[in-house]
Amino acid sequence: MSVVALSELLGASVRDASGAVRGRVREIAIAPQDHPTRIAFLIVKTPSGERMLPPDAITSAGATVRAGNDASQWEAFSPSDGLLLLKRDLLDQQIIDIHGRKVVRVNDVELESTPVNSHLLINVVAVDVGARGAVRRLSKGMVPSFTLRALLERIPPRVIPWQFVDLLETDPARRVKLKIAYTGLAQLHPADIADIVEDLAPAERESVFETIDEEVAAEALEEIDPDIQVSIVKSLDKDRAADIVEEMDPDAAADLLGDLEEKHSDEILKEMEPQERHEVTQLLEFGERTAAGRMTTEFVAVAETAVVDDAIEALRAFEGSAEAVATIYLTGPGLKLVGSVPLVKIALSSPAVQLSQLSEPHISCARDTPQAEVAALFDKYNLITLAVVDEHGRLAGIITADDVITMLRHRD
Amino acid sequence: MKFLKSWKARIVLLLAVIGPGFITANVDNDAGGIFTYSQAGAQFGYSLLWTMIPITIALVVVQEMASRMGAITGKGLSDLIREEFGFRVTFWLMLALVVTNFGNVVAEFAGVASSLELFGISKYIVVPVAAAVVWAMVVRGTYDSIEKVFLAASGFYVCYIVAGLLAHPDWKAAALATFRPPSAVGIRNYGYLFMVIALVGTTIAPWMQFYLQASIVEKGITARQYAASRWDVILGCLFTDIVAWFIIVACAATLYASGHKDIGTSGADAALALRPLVGEYAYLLFAAGLFNASLFAASILPISTAYAVCEGLGFESGLDKKFHEAPVFYWLYTLLIVFGAGVLLVPRLPLVYVAVLSQVANGIVLPLVLIFMLMLTNDRELMGEHVNSRTFNVIAWTTVVVMIVLTIAMVLTQR
Repeated sequence: MSVVALSELLGASVRDASGAVRGRVREIAIAPQDHPTRIAFLIVKTPSGERMLPPDAITSAGATVRAGNDASQWEAFSPSDGLLLLKRDLLDQQIIDIHGRKVVRVNDVELESTPVNSHLLINVVAVDVGARGAVRRLSKGMVPSFTLRALLERIPPRVIPWQFVDLLETDPARRVKLKIAYTGLAQLHPADIADIVEDLAPAERESVFETIDEEVAAEALEEIDPDIQVSIVKSLDKDRAADIVEEMDPDAAADLLGDLEEKHSDEILKEMEPQERHEVTQLLEFGERTAAGRMTTEFVAVAETAVVDDAIEALRAFEGSAEAVATIYLTGPGLKLVGSVPLVKIALSSPAVQLSQLSEPHISCARDTPQAEVAALFDKYNLITLAVVDEHGRLAGIITADDVITMLRHRD
Repeated sequence: MKFLKSWKARIVLLLAVIGPGFITANVDNDAGGIFTYSQAGAQFGYSLLWTMIPITIALVVVQEMASRMGAITGKGLSDLIREEFGFRVTFWLMLALVVTNFGNVVAEFAGVASSLELFGISKYIVVPVAAAVVWAMVVRGTYDSIEKVFLAASGFYVCYIVAGLLAHPDWKAAALATFRPPSAVGIRNYGYLFMVIALVGTTIAPWMQFYLQASIVEKGITARQYAASRWDVILGCLFTDIVAWFIIVACAATLYASGHKDIGTSGADAALALRPLVGEYAYLLFAAGLFNASLFAASILPISTAYAVCEGLGFESGLDKKFHEAPVFYWLYTLLIVFGAGVLLVPRLPLVYVAVLSQVANGIVLPLVLIFMLMLTNDRELMGEHVNSRTFNVIAWTTVVVMIVLTIAMVLTQR
């Protein structure tokens, strides 16, 4: 078993069974449909055109590649979309380093060749993103190979194992053929996905958001810079955009749609599920910089006559965000807001206790309260959530502390 | 009223168009540019004015290529060069870029030094302070808000036009010289060739292409909004070269006419020489314009170099990263400023000569960068239907060939 670098193999002379040099290695291909890491064949440039040399015909691979059969047996190469060509598609390109959670550029690719019977199995094991690959490529052909190897030994390697690499591909059809699904990326924290996406080119961003799961896409989109959010949503087709926006926090979705041109946001709204559409349009109505613009309509409210057990039931059924359950709101006749109970008190009380006994004086604001006043209320009363009521005193939505932090940070 | 309305609409349209192209154009008339244009006028009078028309055409074509590439691919120039031509080529090109850009940074600080020398402030104070201000301003992110101030202060450029008018040039001779084809004698004259290369190098500076393309990408301009952006680029180029023309004319009408043919030691000499010829205020404006232009470009050049190099070679980059997360990026940026400013502390350094020399370096590296740009903008896989038109290719390749020939001729005529 030995490790050989892609840059060493590229340009290497190829000898066939007779020992004569028949050509040079031009490319190395993987067929992801057949095997995700195994080299399908080397593309050898010969005087009679490009030929495919599969590993099971190779007896050794290094500065010289030796084939076990005769050059006349090598089949002609015909290009195909379903092939991953290591030089063209990987070397010098940007990839996503799942482990390091960033976008990096490939300096070299490490291949591992294992002798099996009388031929080789060659697999991609890692990509080199450090100085070792860079120096190797810079000095290739200029420094004798044994000196170079000794020199390279001294440079600490910076490699990413192949399983932590997500390739970027902007062509949807090719993405399917190459089985690129951004599976590694999708497992990262949405905030990390957002950071990575911001580092990509627009077409690549689009490809990520076309591919990854809607829920993950929605959470990541919320974390992205508003300008980039807009350009991503514009680039997606309406159905896909609506699917993602539906999964977003209603207030984040309203912010985003508010930033789009009206024609565009209307088209997306039209594609959305009725309930989500209703919530978002309400938020859009009051403008972004008001309590209504900042609130979410997903909250936990129970009747004032309820007991702790009822509140726990309501919490179990609740599908909104975790921040929103910090306070349970009590409503009286006509759904008017009459009180609020912190989650802690519910957790510490026995199931039969009346919620009205646990209720604290509640702080609320009107829907058109400017956001600066909202922040002031949070500061003054040390709130975690703030109730927003309509003109009849009915609970319209709530603002959570994390919304206020976002609001303060984005104030210009 | 209708007339007024349409004018309002036009102004709004114009303001909307002011974007990366216009900013790049303004930065183009940096210290290196102002010194080179001044020296060209002082040394050769009107006889180099003919270069302005071909340079403008080439500038429009080259800048349009850079911005189109940015809009279509969404990637920076060094990214594209790396992806299409591999590590080794990128490495050497980036090395050349760092060396030439270093020269340009020196020129910017030379501009800062000599403009404030006019107000009697020693360069030993000015240069370190300016370097520290620039470094901190960019790293702390205050640059973004100050950019508008710089841009507004670019209005000082108008003062060159005013200076040109006040200098009472021979308009007829200047106009004739602009349209008269050059005589072949120049090709044997080292000084003449040196200046022509500097003029091209300062107007179509290699670093501007990297900067412009990066700005287009950062602004998020895509193929769809590109039509408006193209006008921004073209207008910017025209504005740059009109200012350049007036600087040459002003210096030709005053310095050349009165026999001050060498402003090689200090930009202050140029301004001081202008003083009796164009009057007190024009000379103050000249100094203020030079100061603004130098500081503006000094804020952009080192950071844009650091970005281009790190992106091309795959080092971490970005001001949102911490120093230890992107060490190469921050060190390169810091060293460019420290050494770029440090060079100026050498006593009796001929500021203008050094500045013009850096522009000659630009001119020599330009064809190299242009060849890569041409190959990229003609790559159908990359640009799709937005590949170069034939006219563009002819103009850009002509520029490449002319610059190579001029460089060879300059080397041959050196003795």
